[in-house]
Amino acid sequence: MKKKLLFLFTAMFILILAACSSSDDSSGDTDGGEDTGKEAASTDKITVWAWDPNFNIAALDLAKEAYTGDVEVEVIENAQDDIIQKLNTGLSSGTTKGMPNIVLIEDYRAQSFLQAYPDSFVPISDYFNPDDFADYKVATTSLDGEQYGLPFDSGVAGLYVRTDYLEEAGYTVEDVTNITWKEYIEVAKAVKKATGKSMLTLDPNDLAQLRMMIQTAGSWYLDEDGSTPHLANNEALKEAFEIYKELMESDTVKVVSDWSQFVGAFNSGEVASVPTGNWITPSVKASADQSGKWAVVPPPKLSIDGAVNASNLGGSSWYVLNVDGKEAAAEFLADTFGSNTEFYQNLVTEIGAIGTYKPAAEGDAYNAADEFFGGQKIISDFSEWTKEIPGVNYGMHTYAIEDILIAEMQNYLNGKDLDQVLKDAQTQAEAQVK
Amino acid sequence: MKKIKRIATYCFLSVAAIVSIFPFLWMLVSMTNKSVDVTQGKLLPGTHLFANIKELFATVDMVPAFVNSTIIAVITTVLTLLIASLAGYGFEMYRSRGKDIAFTILLVSMMIPFAAIMIPLYRLFGGVSDTMPWIGIDTLAAAILPTVTTAFFIFFFRQNTKMFQKELIEAGRIDGLSELGIFFRIYVPTMKTTYAAAAIIAFMNSWNNYLWPLVILQSPEKRTIPLLISNLGSSYAPDYGVIMTAIVIATLPTAIVFFIMQKHFVAGMMGSVKG
Repeated sequence: MKKKLLFLFTAMFILILAACSSSDDSSGDTDGGEDTGKEAASTDKITVWAWDPNFNIAALDLAKEAYTGDVEVEVIENAQDDIIQKLNTGLSSGTTKGMPNIVLIEDYRAQSFLQAYPDSFVPISDYFNPDDFADYKVATTSLDGEQYGLPFDSGVAGLYVRTDYLEEAGYTVEDVTNITWKEYIEVAKAVKKATGKSMLTLDPNDLAQLRMMIQTAGSWYLDEDGSTPHLANNEALKEAFEIYKELMESDTVKVVSDWSQFVGAFNSGEVASVPTGNWITPSVKASADQSGKWAVVPPPKLSIDGAVNASNLGGSSWYVLNVDGKEAAAEFLADTFGSNTEFYQNLVTEIGAIGTYKPAAEGDAYNAADEFFGGQKIISDFSEWTKEIPGVNYGMHTYAIEDILIAEMQNYLNGKDLDQVLKDAQTQAEAQVK
Repeated sequence: MKKIKRIATYCFLSVAAIVSIFPFLWMLVSMTNKSVDVTQGKLLPGTHLFANIKELFATVDMVPAFVNSTIIAVITTVLTLLIASLAGYGFEMYRSRGKDIAFTILLVSMMIPFAAIMIPLYRLFGGVSDTMPWIGIDTLAAAILPTVTTAFFIFFFRQNTKMFQKELIEAGRIDGLSELGIFFRIYVPTMKTTYAAAAIIAFMNSWNNYLWPLVILQSPEKRTIPLLISNLGSSYAPDYGVIMTAIVIATLPTAIVFFIMQKHFVAGMMGSVKG
């Protein structure tokens, strides 16, 4: 009895050991360069990872319908944070097993993936013409002159305003068009006085507003190289901090702590404006009773030289992974998101996604008037503003630095000297992102 | 004086009870409300329960995920109990050189966070995917294997084994039982409470495990419940009513397992403290 068991255990042990050693060999091969992952999707089927069933996955479904090739496309839904976790684990382990052919990555994070795993993504400029897309988007999706990403949605920002509240305070839509943030604060105070409503929401744990502000001046948390923190002596950031504090102290801000409160605030009519990315449109329109009371104007800009009334918030792009089926994957993307004007019209009408594909702006859907916004051609306007967005290199560490800034912002609001705040943030950032 | 002390105790306990019960209450109430009501903090039950359930089953494959979670949790629990109790029993009952060093090393391994060994593990499973596809990436077996038995369970069983009367073993040996026979026929039946406590912990750990199934399971049809819930919250406009419904369904099995074994669980935990 005992001996038999012992024999059995030993046999199992040897088997497992043998399996492990042979596995080492095969993964060694994969490291060599060319990936030949046998388990990875074969060319007649490609897999795509994306995260929102009502937005980017819906867009993929439209793309599948529009695609004329005979490749089967399987779309797998994963939460965005889950995709990041899975990609990081898979790519750092050096095995391509289980990796998809195409993955959606948020623009702020794209550079960190491209730089950390240079051989894992395929340059796809041979399949489509990057010049067809908005310049700022190309800047965020390429690395060292190679085009890796195919742009999906535009994060072009706008200032959504309640025309009725503005009117009550004695302002027209023209008065808030192409203004600076300083002028915006004046309007905010007047609106608060006349209507008792806050001007906007701010979330102390999400500095999206700050990102939007500094991009109007073509500035970012990082230098143009995409890896050196640029916080101390960053004029744009400094002004953005000042405006943020002024807003907070002007009693015109409704502080929120999460996304649902943010959406709830404008749905219930508690705020007079929403400066954010165009992807908020469906959420704004969710309150049908507010139809005709909204307008969208270009976002306010910073006062420093060179700032423009155009910015970006969010947005993501498609990337092709270096696994079997990469050609089919690139062709699928190029044929749909990369060149199909008709398809872009459907994206707008059916799911409200605005792309950055320039020729699409000529289509009917882009030029349709939206009654909710008092007949304004908002898609067409957004496409116009997209062209003006200053291109910046989002670099590797957007969110890591933002975590530092969130803490330092609180210090600043509590009275710490601004130059010192930015200097401290710079020191922390340099220590952290090495 | 005694009375005041008593009142204070009850006040403290009431607060503690409310704090621990409130999340469950919130979950159950939110399950019956619309997403908007959930975000506005409505504390009263609504009428949206059936709409939420219908919506949940229409949008995601709840049943396969439930089946996957059950398979993984049950197999993991059974294997964990078997291996950990054998190991704990062995550590306590047999004398051998180096035993204490081995045990110390085992305990030290409790300090290594799972995230640190995740990438090598993924690499390992990626490597065997070609030769042994049945335990490769994207299989339930791969989701189970690394989570079977942790140092904690071996420690837990060893501690509890200290209470086990060694005379019983002597008696078994005299009566001619083999060593494994002693284990299965004497040890296992006497240690029921310990097994029950360990079973609850192992089942809950496995049922709620998120990180490893997340990275190792790729196809949607192999997803477990926690992964499914994570997906529900991923869209730009999540439906909180539906998410709460999914969470209630996900909580049920652990709650049921707990209530069935509650009596044993308490006894088992007391035992490990005494030991």
